[in-house]
Amino acid sequence: MSPNTWVIEMPTQKTRSHPYPRRISPYRPPVLNRDAFSRDAPPMPARNHDHPVFEDIRTILSVLKASGLMPIYEQVSDYEVGPPTKTNEFYSFFVRGVVHALTIFNVYSLFTPISAQLFFSYRETDNVNQWIELLLCILTYTLTVFVCAHNTTSMLRIMNEILQLDEEVRRQFGANLSQNFGFLVKFLVGITACQAYIIVLKIYAVQGEITPTSYILLAFYGIQNGLTATYIVFASALLRIVYIRFHFINQLLNGYTYGQQHRRKEGGARARRQRGDVNPNVNPALMEHFPEDSLFIYRMHNKLLRIYKGINDCCNLILVSFLGYSFYTVTTNCYNLFVQITGKGMVSPNILQWCFAWLCLHVSLLALLSRSCGLTTTEANATSQILARVYAKSKEYQNIIDKFLTKSIKQEVQFTAYGFFAIDNSTLFKIFSAVTTYLVILIQFKQLEDSKVEDPVPEQT
Amino acid sequence: MAQAEDAVQPLLQQFQQLFFISKIAGILPQDLEKFRSRNLLEKSRNGMIYMLSTLILYVVLYNILIYSFGEEDRSLKASQSTLTFVIGLFLTYIGLIMMVSDQLTALRNQGRIGELYERIRLVDERLYKEGCVMDNSTIGRRIRIMLIMTVIFELSILVSTYVKLVDYSQWMSLLWIVSAIPTFINTLDKIWFAVSLYALKERFEAINATLEELVDTHEKHKLWLRGNQEVPPPLDSSQPPQYDSNLEYLYKELGGMDIGSIGKSSVSGSGKNKVAPVAHSMNSFGEAIDAASRKPPPPPLATNMVHESELGNAAKVEEKLNNLCQVHDEICEIGKALNELWSYPILSLMAYGFLIFTAQLYFLYCATQYQSIPSLFRSAKNPFITVIVLSYTSGKCVYLIYLSWKTSQASKRTGISLHKCGVVADDNLLYEIVNHLSLKLLNHSVDFSACGFFTLDMETLYGVSGGITSYLIILIQFNLAAQQAKEAIQTFNSLNDTAGLVGAATDMDNISSTLRDFVTTTMTPAV
Repeated sequence: MSPNTWVIEMPTQKTRSHPYPRRISPYRPPVLNRDAFSRDAPPMPARNHDHPVFEDIRTILSVLKASGLMPIYEQVSDYEVGPPTKTNEFYSFFVRGVVHALTIFNVYSLFTPISAQLFFSYRETDNVNQWIELLLCILTYTLTVFVCAHNTTSMLRIMNEILQLDEEVRRQFGANLSQNFGFLVKFLVGITACQAYIIVLKIYAVQGEITPTSYILLAFYGIQNGLTATYIVFASALLRIVYIRFHFINQLLNGYTYGQQHRRKEGGARARRQRGDVNPNVNPALMEHFPEDSLFIYRMHNKLLRIYKGINDCCNLILVSFLGYSFYTVTTNCYNLFVQITGKGMVSPNILQWCFAWLCLHVSLLALLSRSCGLTTTEANATSQILARVYAKSKEYQNIIDKFLTKSIKQEVQFTAYGFFAIDNSTLFKIFSAVTTYLVILIQFKQLEDSKVEDPVPEQT
Repeated sequence: MAQAEDAVQPLLQQFQQLFFISKIAGILPQDLEKFRSRNLLEKSRNGMIYMLSTLILYVVLYNILIYSFGEEDRSLKASQSTLTFVIGLFLTYIGLIMMVSDQLTALRNQGRIGELYERIRLVDERLYKEGCVMDNSTIGRRIRIMLIMTVIFELSILVSTYVKLVDYSQWMSLLWIVSAIPTFINTLDKIWFAVSLYALKERFEAINATLEELVDTHEKHKLWLRGNQEVPPPLDSSQPPQYDSNLEYLYKELGGMDIGSIGKSSVSGSGKNKVAPVAHSMNSFGEAIDAASRKPPPPPLATNMVHESELGNAAKVEEKLNNLCQVHDEICEIGKALNELWSYPILSLMAYGFLIFTAQLYFLYCATQYQSIPSLFRSAKNPFITVIVLSYTSGKCVYLIYLSWKTSQASKRTGISLHKCGVVADDNLLYEIVNHLSLKLLNHSVDFSACGFFTLDMETLYGVSGGITSYLIILIQFNLAAQQAKEAIQTFNSLNDTAGLVGAATDMDNISSTLRDFVTTTMTPAV
């Protein structure tokens, strides 16, 4: 982060009425948030409902709403969402019911010969693998639906908390915390394309006429996979939202660190000459803002931590099952890929593409998830580190700093998968090293099998 | 300020030879002339072009090497299992990948490395103002030792492999020299990292030493004060007797320890966790420390000036402690920046170390079983060369990990030294300052990691060695099993052949039927 990201903001009409008249946003508008100040405070109070909450992640929210994973909430005001209306609630309920019915139908057809035509392969183990993969997928999705249905209220609460926080930030700083969530749409498109591609590949791979049941099976399989992936992307987006908030308060705090203060003293005169029109008396008064700002920051930090915990609680189980599922998928697909490439016989392009599509999907999802978790965790932990760099002369300020630092000593911020393990970059590393180990073992076994099968053959002929 | 600038020698002064060699080898793109004259690392377009051309040259040469020595491998592929072949292919290229990542990272960082050393220089200046002068000459010596070690290792591996295991009748065999390039370049690059890290560690230690020195001077000051007041040691016996008798054993223990710990901590700053004994013996057992540190008896007149302790004046010392704390934070930040600059090379080095270590041991095993191994790993045919290769590779990785671990340890030790100050001064005001600062120090974290995937500390080292062992066991087990299966099949086939031959013979001659019976009865159980 570039050090001098300070901007002095003219108090808007709304902020002027507020007890703390002068506030400084740590963001410089053109660089850091592109549309943070474009739609700024003043016109807001007039029209209430045309500014939808969570506009950045609207696309993914609508997908999740349509599939019954998210409640179709009502927007009470700009900074509050209400519980869904009866009709909408019934709709979500209905969708979830349909999903469960389909799941039961799927499981039933999996255990009966109806689906046999989908499971054809060269070897018996491949079939078993696909079976397990399918079952894991069904399990993950069913779990997702159940957990989502169960957590409807807490999800709404988290959203409300985030909105309240935004409101407070806006009231105090006039900053609209939003970021470019373009990656969400990209991921959505990618997931859809991948799933469609996989289904098409599967259809081409099936010999003979495809029965309608198989079509339903396949389509539902694709939808399940897609929605699970979408949910993971949604979780990452939520984490990213929290990350932005953490980042905001860290930037705010960063202005008080000794490095910045030192630079301010040196460059103060020059800066005033450069932007003399902008409120010249702000700079010297900076440190005096510290008590107010620190109070605000501590409160924000606490709230954010609670939100972070809440998000973690909401998608705990889903994450565990998803990680297990994608670990299994990545391993089997790598294995299949290896077998295909090194196999003596024909290389089937169909299976190659199938494996590649799966690998791309899951690896990118894993990377996204672990990266968002890692980023947010580091940012949350960075607050105390930044605060440690604030050197205040007076005892009072020192006490403020000490209080927060003492509080955060034992406050380990982590995003865990149901407490089994923490999710961050090292998780990615662990998963891939585990995949490698399994691959080596599996491939060795396969070669052993091959060498035993191969050599008796010439003897028979 | 100007005085400090003059007095502080830039760290880069010690890097002259290393920079020259790295520049020629094409590791750093920065400008040579500017470095010579002003000790600055600056961007240079010519350097960049030179570096890119060396990079391309190395890649081409290495590929020619692989191609020309790969002829043996092609016959190998048919005979060998595919896994071994694929792994072999991967292993031959990991060295190249490592080198390319080193060079590309150096290209990407060419502007930022200079900044880093500039920051270190500023830190040195600030440290100088606080009264601790950094001595960079040890760093120069270290660089020279590392360079010599690298050259010795590379040459011994190269020459011994060339003489013993390469067919040097053909002129193409001279290409074998290329095989040493990636490791050599990688080592040079890592010397930069290691030495910079070492310099940071020294700075942490300098801060610790300064704090300990404060403690020492204050102790002497106290002694001197007591000496001045002519306080007789028996004054301590005026304390309640039960207190004395209760702590009699403690007093003895601590008194015994103090002689060692004080002497050591003042010299090398290595006395760890000895805060408590020093503190208590000072505060409660004044006479103990008298007895202990009698060996440097302070001549009262001379110490009049010397033993003016800074710790006595809380307001004055606050400034100093504050500054030291800020410098500590700055060094931590530099450490983070350093780690970030080298994060990808370190990741690739660790991957390389892990793979090569496992592979070399596995191929050594294969060679002892007279199995064929990839031609680039021919050094595994000789156990002696293998030992050199292994110690070279592991030495690189382990040294980096060890140094990172030591550096973060040194940064954490500052808190302990700070507390010593507080304890010795035994002043409420100072205590508050120390508490405040130590909370801050707690939040200065410098952990070295490879792209956040794993931290570089002893735990990781342990995990990696565990990983190598388990992979080796898996590989060797499967190799054994495959070998047994092959042998069994061979005996089976040869048996069939003989049986078939014998069977053909029976048509002509009945006599041989007895022979056939003999063969089948004796050899079937073997299957």
